[in-house]
Amino acid sequence: MSPCTHQWVMTNIRHGYLVVEGCFRCGARSSYFSSEAVAPVEEYQDGKHSWIHLGSSQAVKFDLTCRLCGKTVSLDDMTALMLSTCTNPSCAVADLARQGGSSTWVYVALCGDSTHASGRCVSPEGIRALNEYFNQNLKSSSKSIVVVPCELCCGIDTCQGIIIADTGLTDFYAGEAAKAPHRPGGKK
Amino acid sequence: MNISELAARTGLKSVNAFSDKNVDGVYISDMVSDIITGAKPNGILVTLQTHKSLIAAANLVDVAMIVVVKGKIPAQDVVALADKAGIALFVSTDDAWTYARKLADLGLT
Repeated sequence: MSPCTHQWVMTNIRHGYLVVEGCFRCGARSSYFSSEAVAPVEEYQDGKHSWIHLGSSQAVKFDLTCRLCGKTVSLDDMTALMLSTCTNPSCAVADLARQGGSSTWVYVALCGDSTHASGRCVSPEGIRALNEYFNQNLKSSSKSIVVVPCELCCGIDTCQGIIIADTGLTDFYAGEAAKAPHRPGGKK
Repeated sequence: MNISELAARTGLKSVNAFSDKNVDGVYISDMVSDIITGAKPNGILVTLQTHKSLIAAANLVDVAMIVVVKGKIPAQDVVALADKAGIALFVSTDDAWTYARKLADLGLT
């Protein structure tokens, strides 16, 4: 455990696209961040999955760096943040919000793999840093922000929430995307 | 400057009930993904955006006050979420540039 009482700042801010794909064979969903000028739209085979493009929205990625000790926590494994509005009684995220009361706001850090088949989600270190970052500067003394990994959701495809991404803005580029050359294996 | 004084001096129409408090700092953006990296706690957010994700982003970084420009009226579910978050929501008939000049004239940057 670090002795530093971290004071986090956002670093390595990258603007790009949250690209969501679905496998039409098994129903899995996958998302990744693309920093290309135009959001990739492609279909491809990847092992047992046959991915098709479901949608894109402008999004941002960032890391957190402590201005006191210089430690940087990479948030490469997080694709977006979502304000939970889930009310499913069996959902651990909804339960956290209920327990916290009206002044507690639960945000879900979304990773790229809705199935969590790899056993990975947003790292505990990343979740800890996100919680510290978003709470350290709160001026509303009664408010608290709780960030949890999406593996806690009752099901990321059914858990209700508001994703912080600019859905719809990429529609402006639909014409260009259709003309863009095919880029196999868009996930990086 | 506090919210009510700022609203009166810049011709804002209030959309929800709010707790009056001092605000400082201004950020202008129409992208919620940009708001979480640029807006500051206790600040004023000027935007054309009225989607509910605006409130999700503004609440995360503890924005105190949102001014929606060009007379756009947020939907009722957006207003309800702003209420719950304790964010003061206003509408200006100005465009973002004109409203930003008013803020600058008052010494808010």
